[in-house]
Amino acid sequence: MELIIEGVSKLYRGMVWGLRRFSLPLGPGVLGLLGPNGAGKSTLMRILATVTRPTEGRALWNGTDVVKSPDILRFTLGYLPQDFGVYPNLTAMEFLEYLAAVKGVEAAAARKRIVELLELVNLTDAARRPLGGYSGGMRQRVGVAQALLNDPQLLIVDEPTAGLDPEERVRFRNLLSELSGERIVILSTHIVSDVEAVATSIALIDHGELVVHSAPESLLQSVSGRVWEVVVPSLELSALRQRYQVSSTAHRSDGVHARVVADHAPVSDARPLEPSLEDAYLSALGAHRGQAAPSGGPA
Amino acid sequence: MRIRAIYPIARADFLERVRRYSFLVTLLFAVYLGYAAATGKIALRLGNYRGVYTSAWIGANMAMVASCFITLVGFYVVKNAIDRDRVTRVGEILAATPLTRPVYLLGKWLSNSTVLGVQVAVLGLASIVMQFVVAEDPHIDLWALLAPFLLLALPAVMVTGAIALLFEALPILRGGIGNVLWVFAWAFGIALAPLTDHAWLDFTGLFATMVSITRAASAAIPDYNGEFALQTDFTRPAVVATRLRWPGIQWGLPQVLLRLEWVGVALAFVLLVAPFFDRFDPARSRGRPRVRRRSRRESPETATTFASPTSASVQPSRSYAPARLSPLGGARSWGLYRMFAAELRLALKGYRWWWYALVGGLLVAQCAAPLEISRGPLLTAAWIWPILLWSAMGAREARHGTGQLIFSAPRVLLRQLPAGWFVGVLIAVATGGGVAVRLLLARNFAGLLGWCAGALFIPTLALALGVWTASSRPFEGLYTGLWYTGPLNRIPGFDFTGAASGQGTIKYACLYLLLTLVLLASAFLGRRRQLLHA
Repeated sequence: MELIIEGVSKLYRGMVWGLRRFSLPLGPGVLGLLGPNGAGKSTLMRILATVTRPTEGRALWNGTDVVKSPDILRFTLGYLPQDFGVYPNLTAMEFLEYLAAVKGVEAAAARKRIVELLELVNLTDAARRPLGGYSGGMRQRVGVAQALLNDPQLLIVDEPTAGLDPEERVRFRNLLSELSGERIVILSTHIVSDVEAVATSIALIDHGELVVHSAPESLLQSVSGRVWEVVVPSLELSALRQRYQVSSTAHRSDGVHARVVADHAPVSDARPLEPSLEDAYLSALGAHRGQAAPSGGPA
Repeated sequence: MRIRAIYPIARADFLERVRRYSFLVTLLFAVYLGYAAATGKIALRLGNYRGVYTSAWIGANMAMVASCFITLVGFYVVKNAIDRDRVTRVGEILAATPLTRPVYLLGKWLSNSTVLGVQVAVLGLASIVMQFVVAEDPHIDLWALLAPFLLLALPAVMVTGAIALLFEALPILRGGIGNVLWVFAWAFGIALAPLTDHAWLDFTGLFATMVSITRAASAAIPDYNGEFALQTDFTRPAVVATRLRWPGIQWGLPQVLLRLEWVGVALAFVLLVAPFFDRFDPARSRGRPRVRRRSRRESPETATTFASPTSASVQPSRSYAPARLSPLGGARSWGLYRMFAAELRLALKGYRWWWYALVGGLLVAQCAAPLEISRGPLLTAAWIWPILLWSAMGAREARHGTGQLIFSAPRVLLRQLPAGWFVGVLIAVATGGGVAVRLLLARNFAGLLGWCAGALFIPTLALALGVWTASSRPFEGLYTGLWYTGPLNRIPGFDFTGAASGQGTIKYACLYLLLTLVLLASAFLGRRRQLLHA
C-alpha cells in the first residue's frame, strides 16, 4: 500500500499558487502535516481526497493515478474535511446510513459498523436526535465517524480535533494511532501536540512547498542542543524576541521564562532544554523563510 | 442608533454581490430584457396598436419592463442578504457588535435596492440606445426618457428589496414557502391598483402609466377599445398609431408624492421587520428541527457527557479505551436500489403527516373526480404541493455543505445523481398518479404522453437548476411562474401537464420530453463538472 505524490501543483484564480511542485512518497502510518495558515495543507488534502483536481502533477495510489481515475481511491478513502455540513433533519444514525449507501457499504454491515462508530465517538446516546440540534464538537464527531464508515485504507483528516474537548481529542488521537497500523493516515492540524502524539512521519509545508519530510525523531534531532531556557525581566522580553526565536514564554516570580531556539546559549546562564516538536517546527519554518534565529553571542 | 454604519454595511454587501458570478448573470438578464423590449418582444400594447416611439413612450415601455420583470425576478436575486451573513457566519460577528437591527436592515435594504437599481440603470441605458436605433422620433427628451426609471421603476425595486428582507427575517417565509408565495404576492401587487382603481396601491407604476396612455390613446385613435397591456408577443407586431405621440406622465407634485409613497412603504417595511429579525441568534430561529421532548430538556453537551460521577482517578477515562471496529471485508453494495432508498428517505425527512394526508387526498380526488377536473385543477394542485421537495434536488449538497463528504465517494455520478432524479420522478408519479391511471383507463394516450412529459420534466428541471445554481431559489421562482402561467392559467405550451394543450398535446409533450433530455444531460454535465473542478 503506497501513495506517491509527484510534482503536484494547484494554481487558483488570480495566479495564486496553493501548492507548488509538491512531491512525497507515503506508506502505512500517520503522516502529520504541519504548516502555517494558508500554507497549502487543505489544498493538498482536497487533492488527495479527489475533491479538487491539481493543475499539474499526479498522485499515485498503488500505482494508479487518482487524478485520472479518482474512483480507484474513492473505494478505500475516508475523508474528514476541515469544513463540512450535515443534513439537519436527519439523526446521526440516519446521516451515517445515508453516507454508507453513498459509499457503497452493504446495508447489514453498515448498520453494525455505524453502531460501533457511534459508540467509538461517544454519540450513542445522541444517535437518534436530529443533527440540527448538535453542538459543533458533536458534529465534528459525526464527521469522524463518517470518515471511518467504509474501513478506509487511506484516511485523510483535516483539522479533526477542532472543536473537540480535551478528552475527545485524546480519544481521537488514540483512535488514529490504532488505525494507522494497516493504513495510511494523513493528519493535518495546527496543533503540534496532536502530531507529536500520533505521527510516525511529519511533513512541514509552507507557501505550498514541502519544507521538510522526516521522522519526528529526525526533526527533533535537528534542534537538539539548540533549545534554551532564558529568564529575563518582562521589559526585556521584546528585545529577546527581536534577536532570537522564542517558542514559548511563561511568567514567574523571578521574571519571564522564555524558551529560545538558538545555535548558542543566548545568555551565559541559559539552561539547555530537551527540544519539543514545536521548537523543531518553528526552527525549520524560520530556516525555510531565511529568518532562522541568529546564532549570535550572549545578549 | 449608529446611522453611519448603514453605508459600510450596504457597501460591503453590494461589493460582495457584484464580485460574484451570479451578478453577471442577473446583468445579462437585464440586458436581455432591454433587447426584448427594444425589439418589441415585450411591449406596451393598446390592443393591436402602440404609440410612436417617442422618448416618453420608450422610457415608459422600458421602465415598465424593469418595474414588472425586475421586481419579479429581482426578488430572488436579492433574497439572500441576511442569509449570506448567516451562511458565512459573518452574522455572528456582527451580532456581537453594537449594531442595531434597524441599522443592519437599512444597510441591507440599501444594498438590495442598489443591486436592483443597477439592473434598472442597464435598461435606462438601453432605452437611450433604443431611441437612436429605432429612430421613429429623432427628438430626444432626456427627462421624458429617464423619469419613468427614476420615479416608477426605482421605487418599485426599492419595495422589492424591502420585501425580500421581510421574507428573510420571518422564519416561515425564509425558505421555499416564501419563494413560492412571492409569485402570488407579486401578481396580486400588480393587479391591486387596476382592480381597485386606487392610484396609491400602484407599486410598479403600471397603473399610472396605463391611465396616462389610455387617456391619450382615446383621443388619438378613433377605434381604440381601451385595451392596455405590457405584453409578451413574439408573433404579432403592433400597428403604430402615428397620431399617438404620447408626451409622458405629467409629473406634478401629487404624482411625485404617489411614487415617493413607495419609498416610504419600503422604509416602513424595513423598520417594521426589525423586531422580527433574530439577529443571528440560533435560539430565536424557528428553522431548527424539532427535537423530541425528552431531549429538549437536555443541552446538546450534557446529553453526551458521561453521567457517572466517578472520578478519573477511580476509573480509567474512556479516553484510553481501545478502538474496536469490525472489519468490513468485501461487504459492498453498489446497487441503485439502496442509493434510491437512501435518497428517498433523505428527501422525505421532515415532512409531517398532514403533508402526506394532502397528497393522499389529492390522489383520491384525482381518481374520483371527472377526468377534466382531475387533469386540470387537481393535477395542478398535486404538482405544486411537492415543490420544496423538488427544489432541494441537486442543490442539497451545496445548501448543507455536504459536498466534500459525498463527492469524495465513488460512482457518485452513476449512483447518487440518478437515484436523486428517480426520487423526483417518483414524487411526481406518486402525487399525480391518479390522473395517469384515469387517462390510461380512458385510453387517452395523447393525454398520458403529456402527463408523462410533465412528470419527467418537473424533477429534471429541478435537478438541472439545482446542480448548476447550487440553490433552491431559481427552481422555486421559475417553476412557480411556469405553473402559474401554464397549468393554472391554462396557456397551451406553458402547460407542461398537457391538460390545456388541446390538439397540440402530442406536439407539446414531445417538446417537453426533448427539453427534459437536454436538462437531464445538463444536470449530469453540471455534476460531472462539480466532481472534476470542485
